[in-house]
This record gives sequence, structure tokens and C-alpha cells, in this order.
Amino acid sequence: MFGKKRVAIVGAGVTLFRRNLKETGKELSFHAAKMALEQAGMELRDIQSVVMGTAPDAFDGVHMKGEYLADGAGAYHKPYTRVFVGGGTGVFAPLAGWWHVASGKFDTCLVVCEEKMSSCYPHPQYAFTTIFDPILERPIGMNLIWIFALEMNRYMHKHNIKKEDIALVSVKNKRNALDNPIAQLAANITVEDVLNSEIMAWPVQRLDVSPTSDGAAAAVLVSEDIAKEVTDNPVWIDGVGWCIDSTYWTDRDLYYPDYVEYAARMAYKMAGIKNPPKEIDVAEPYDPFDYKELHHMEGLLLCKKGEAPKLTREGVTQRDGDLPTCPSGGLLGCGNPIAAAGMMKVCEIFWQLRGEAGKRQVPGDPRTGVAQAWGDLMQYGSVIVLRR
Amino acid sequence: MSLEKITNLFDARHWIGHMEADYRYTLGIAGERFFKEIKENARIMGAKCPKCGVVFVPPRLYCEKCFMKLEEWVDVGKRGEVYTYTIATIDIDGKKLEKPQIYALIKFEGAHGGLIHKIGETENVYIGMKVEAVFKPPSERKASINDIAYFKPVK
Ligand SMILES: [Zn+2]
Repeated sequence: MFGKKRVAIVGAGVTLFRRNLKETGKELSFHAAKMALEQAGMELRDIQSVVMGTAPDAFDGVHMKGEYLADGAGAYHKPYTRVFVGGGTGVFAPLAGWWHVASGKFDTCLVVCEEKMSSCYPHPQYAFTTIFDPILERPIGMNLIWIFALEMNRYMHKHNIKKEDIALVSVKNKRNALDNPIAQLAANITVEDVLNSEIMAWPVQRLDVSPTSDGAAAAVLVSEDIAKEVTDNPVWIDGVGWCIDSTYWTDRDLYYPDYVEYAARMAYKMAGIKNPPKEIDVAEPYDPFDYKELHHMEGLLLCKKGEAPKLTREGVTQRDGDLPTCPSGGLLGCGNPIAAAGMMKVCEIFWQLRGEAGKRQVPGDPRTGVAQAWGDLMQYGSVIVLRR
Repeated sequence: MSLEKITNLFDARHWIGHMEADYRYTLGIAGERFFKEIKENARIMGAKCPKCGVVFVPPRLYCEKCFMKLEEWVDVGKRGEVYTYTIATIDIDGKKLEKPQIYALIKFEGAHGGLIHKIGETENVYIGMKVEAVFKPPSERKASINDIAYFKPVK
């Protein structure tokens, strides 16, 4: 065992994901946290520590967003930490929650992730223009869609991947989202719809991309002793990993996410997983763009480099396939409130392993799942392995 | 939670606010030298790690792999190769650009890293295309990455 205590998730909650919700970020945090506590059968007074995951301050438009959101996350008079690793935050926050409990310092930790992107208008893309290097990149006029287009193009070039195969991810995830009550962009679409959608920055088209969203997600983490008291169905955090690549994205090869592989190897080693494709029953890789699901499946060692499009084409990643991938509907189908989106994936694996995913439930009594998020400037990987 | 669907951002009661702040970013020790070479000599330089032997472009003060200080600078030439590219058709507001703009990651022979820049004088671009930096006239150079106007195909 790693750490002093084994750590379990005993409750989870996710709010609606929508382009524009009336609730403030604090209120969204409260709803998600309350749902997670209710599922755990616990009250705020049972919580000894709180971790908040939320992405750039510029979305909500409040500098010191961690402090601003604290009351909604249930942090009043408690040890409280905000963590932030860009888009990787949603899976990093429960990792931070894990070490709060695994260290033996706390028996319980409430992990809450929030994003209210609609505050930034006319479009939250504006907040992304200041994430680039101010000397080398911002004077060129970089925009986030463009650098993902550069990465997608290199990935397609390296493995000779067709856009048709990448579009299948968008089709699958938006369809999976039809069964998810929180989903913002659930739809039955075709590969042709994706290929005919507006070109934003070649090869990225409108339906290759997840939307911006408001939303929150939360989970209750507890030590083994408490888990045995509050539930018959704990889901254990058996592996954690995180890694950052070069700060210069121009230094990276772009067709393969090394940093995800390093994070995954760290998590798998801890969980004793030697053959990820055989031992992992359900996966939630980060899918803000359709090609990213493929990229991340490869980084998570769920298949060989360049093989993810083939698995997708063969139906392996469908909900009833051998390796169900993004059964939640992912970011492409549910929406992408950055930190909350990654945390939603952790919640989905939790529910899948407990057999509580309803119409989204993957068959075959899954025992082991992995969730992953990706962030900062295309260079941060955070990975969590959950087991029943 | 509120379940009603809000399609117009301004339908919910709101308050309009700003987060204004202006910044003055120093180029840094390595950056000053890199941009001075571009401005005064129209040269693209890299910095070589004495331990790893890697030549970093853009040049830096230190090697992130082994933490050696980088003191040897080398001219990597004006010519490079398109490593990947995108053709931007809409701007940040979602409005159509008057003319599609090609952006590429350009790598230089023998160097690690590269520069992101515009591609000009052509509408055709492909991965592996040889390109060359087009510098602005000396009087217009300001020690900025935009002292390079764009990269053009090598004939
Ligand atoms: Zn070195």
C-alpha cells in the first residue's frame, strides 16, 4: 500500500453542464458538494479537509477564485487548498484529495471542482489568449484552437490517420451523452455531419470540439476505516500519477503525449497493473477534442501508438465494446467546464464501478477503471486508477 | 438547481464588470540577446547545452533537462522545415477571416524546439516544406518576434 492509509471514494455528484447557468460558481460548487455528501450519507461536519479544483481565474473573472469559491465547497473553518494545473485540474484535484487522506493527516476530504466559463463574454476564448508566452507567442496572435490544430495535424500526419476515423469519436461520445442527464450537447450525429461542419482552423472543425460550459462536480474521499463505516461499496483510489512535459510546446513531438504515459505508468505501477488493455475495464480519457481521446488512449497505454483510431472504427471503445471509452459522453457530449469536466470523469468511473451508471452502465461488471485529464499548455497529464 | 435553459447569455440577471490590468514583460537575459540578434543581424540563434549537446531554439538561459547554464550560442540559419501547420479560417470571435492565415511550427536543422510563425507568399503548405524567414527592413525592427514578418517557401 502507498501512503499510511488506503483511500476510498464513497460519494459523488455532478451538476448540469450548460453553456450558461444562472447559478454563481459558489452555488454550483454547493450543489455538487451537497450531492456528493448525500450519496456518501455524510454531513459537512464529517468533513475534515477540502480541496477545490478550478482553472484560470479569468473564466469566472475573479482573481483569487479559490478563496471566492471556498464557502460553496464547504470549506468554512476547515483546512482548504485550491489546486490548479490547467485542464488537468479535474483529475489532479482528487489526487490532491488522495494525499490529504493517504498521508494519515485527515480521515475525510471533500473534493470539489468548478468552472463558470460563461462569465467571460462574448466568448471564454478571450481568457485563453493570455495563457501563451508573452514574448514568443502572444505577438503572433495565437489562439487555443490553432495550437490544437497544429497538434492534430501532426498526429494525423505521423500515423496517416483519416479525419473520418477521428470524427467517429465525436459521433460516439455525443451519442453516449444522450443517456446522461447532465449533458449539454448530446446528439445523434454522423461522421458526415462532423466532416461538413464549419472549419475553424484546419484540420479542426466545429464538431471536433467540445463546447464551453458552466458546471461543477464533487466527491467525498475517506480513509479505509471510515469507508467501512459508511458504505458496503467503496471504490478505492489504487493508482495516482501526474507529470508535466517541457514548458515549450514547440519542443515536443506533438503526435504522442509522453507526459500522459509517464503519469499513467506511475499510476499503473502503484495499482499493480501490468497489462492496461487487459486489466482496465472502463476508461474516461480527456476528450475536449475528438482526436484527444485517441491521443490519450495511446498515452494511457490502452493501445499501441497510432492504433486508437482502428480500435474506434472496430467498435472496441463503444459502451458495449471490449474497452468502453467515455461512456459518460465525455466532454464532447456533456460539455467542458474545465476542472468540473475532469472531475465528472472520475465521478463517472466511480458510478460505473458501483453499477450505478443507469442507462450508461457498461456491461460485464467492471472492476477497474481509469480517468485522465490533460492541461496547461498541452503538456500536463493527471491519471487516477479506481478499483472496486 | 435551475433547470430552465438559458440561450441568451444576458437573460440571467447580471452585473457587467472588467478585470483590467496592463503588463510590461521583460524579454529576459536570453530573450534580450535572441531578439538583439534578430533586430541587428537578422540571425536566428540557438543556445547549446555543454552537457547534453542539445541546441535549443528559442535560446534559453538554462537547460531544463540537466540544469546547466547555456553560454554557447549558435546561428541556426534562416531556413527551417514545417513540422506541422494549421490554416486558420475564423478569428477568436468566430468571425470569418478575410483571408485564411497559415500558422506553422518551424523546426531548424540540428536544433531542438522551433518557432511558431505565419507562412506567407503561398497558399500551399505541407508538412516537411522547406521555408525561410523573411525579416522586416532594419528600420522597422523592434526586437520582437514580429521582426520576422513571416516564413516563405524556399524556391
Ligand atoms: Zn543539458
